[in-house]
Amino acid sequence: MLMFSSRLTVAVVITTALLGWQRPAQADSVCATDDTGAKICLDQPANRIAALSPGATELVWAAGAGDKVVAVVSYSDYPEAAKDVVSVGSHTRMDLERLIELQPDLVIGWVTGNPPEQLEAIRDLGLPVFSIEPRTFEAVSHTIERLATLAGTEDAGFAEAERFRQGIAEVSRQYQNAEPVPVFYQVWDQPLMTVNNEHLIGKVITLCGGVNVFGELERLVPRISAEAVIGANPEAILAGGMGEENRHWLTRWEEFPGIEATARSNLYFIPPSLVQRPTPRMLEGSRLFCEKLDTARGKR
Amino acid sequence: MSRPLLKPLLVLAFACLAAMVLSVGTGSVSVSPGQVLAVLLGEGSNLQQTLVLELRLPRTLSAFATGGLLAVAGALMQVLLRNPLADPYVLGLSGGAAVGALLAMLAGLGGLLVSGSAFAGALLSTLMVFGLAHGTGSWTPSRLLLTGVVVAAGWGAVITLMLAVSPAQRLPGMLYWLMGDVSYARSPWPALGLLFLVCLLVVPLGRSLNVLARGPMQAAALGVSVRPLEWMIYILASLLTATAVTMAGSIGFVGLVVPHMLRLVLGNDQRLILPACALAGGALLVLADTLARVVIAPEQLPVGVITALLGVPTFLYLLYRSR
Repeated sequence: MLMFSSRLTVAVVITTALLGWQRPAQADSVCATDDTGAKICLDQPANRIAALSPGATELVWAAGAGDKVVAVVSYSDYPEAAKDVVSVGSHTRMDLERLIELQPDLVIGWVTGNPPEQLEAIRDLGLPVFSIEPRTFEAVSHTIERLATLAGTEDAGFAEAERFRQGIAEVSRQYQNAEPVPVFYQVWDQPLMTVNNEHLIGKVITLCGGVNVFGELERLVPRISAEAVIGANPEAILAGGMGEENRHWLTRWEEFPGIEATARSNLYFIPPSLVQRPTPRMLEGSRLFCEKLDTARGKR
Repeated sequence: MSRPLLKPLLVLAFACLAAMVLSVGTGSVSVSPGQVLAVLLGEGSNLQQTLVLELRLPRTLSAFATGGLLAVAGALMQVLLRNPLADPYVLGLSGGAAVGALLAMLAGLGGLLVSGSAFAGALLSTLMVFGLAHGTGSWTPSRLLLTGVVVAAGWGAVITLMLAVSPAQRLPGMLYWLMGDVSYARSPWPALGLLFLVCLLVVPLGRSLNVLARGPMQAAALGVSVRPLEWMIYILASLLTATAVTMAGSIGFVGLVVPHMLRLVLGNDQRLILPACALAGGALLVLADTLARVVIAPEQLPVGVITALLGVPTFLYLLYRSR
């Protein structure tokens, strides 16, 4: 009896110890897998987030955790409130001292944009790094959901992710049977650069019923010649720009009336901030993009 | 070592120490000298410990080692090639290292693999120049110089090609590497060890080097075995440069100008110049890196820009004043 009772006591003590050990961690801990395949777990939802790319900043805000952002990088200009957050330098070279001083408990890295050795240094300092690189519309929603999970803002984040998902689905339904339009999208002017079908902007073109004349090129952001554009003879040319200005980018095509797009005056400007970052603003950008292609169809 | 040689070295060592103290005490986050001292004695807050022990101190030591290695390598190359324009990179070593590093970056690798690849590239380039300069005919420093310069031009073309075809998002990292940046450095200890060893090894050879600097005929006449000495200098300088480039990319200017500056002030005695180069090169790079970190913080500058901006006017001033 004595033995039994002591065994029971031991068992109870061990069980309580185990439960006591595990419970606080289990109750609040949050996990998510990042775009490099690394599983990031936090003992409790993040409260101080460092976003190391302008896109990551927007996505954290979209996830409903904007008020938890303590550090951003240069050009983090959206939403307006992001401009007031402390910058830790450019996304290509961060000031690690300043980052450490802000004591983030979660760092959102950019797989291809941040220097790998700096991300490694941040990990070595014991900070969890969640690296993202959304390449599809669904990935934008999924990223927002994962960020919301890590920040403990599931309600707002999942709603926003769903709004974006539904919005894109709606645009897709609207244009799935639209007449195809050969499109050239100009990301940059000098050197002349476009995107292929793998690029998120390439996916916007497809979404709107456009056909990217350089879609089959191998590189994500190919450098091309003006000759190649003339040869491809797109029916519409859409261009981004530096900031929200791009007068010269489109006027250069006016010299070539042989291009279908010039002949029909289908030269359009799309504010780059609406399509060039993988964020929920792409929904607005996509709608605008699709409207321009519809205008082009109307000129046939 | 005799007394007149010791004094300038002591002065330089003190300058080094001052540069390091300044570097560890300066950053975009302010930590007072007292707090730095407390951290070094094992106290201070967690944040201060991370800042000083994990970010600043390793970086300062890396900058010191890199600068020292480059300056010593430059001084050796100038003796070997008997050409005042010689620097550690003149024989194409940095080009080989750069191609190695950029290839690793293009493949999306980071950290240790970039360093390893850079080191492999540097060694490959050294062996290539070594083999080609040897060729079938007689070996002369001018033949070595020409081979090296042409190989360097070849690497330059490959680098330009790689930059032209790289995806845009990889370019900033690559350009920083090419401009030289101490933030790539990892552990400073191997480089510091190498620097110390080479100084110990080279100083006893100072007399032979002094004679060699006057010309191989004179050296041979005075009983120096010229060929083995020249090869040894080449191999040592290459090893030093490869280590420096592996740590921090191709930082220009230190290897060219520090030895010249010291010669203008201290005279051309290799027994003094070589250890002085290690100290002065190290101090210059520590100062330059401190500036690179804080001038436009939080944006970070590549240190190569600062070394040139600091070094050019100093050097021109010394040159103008001499004779």
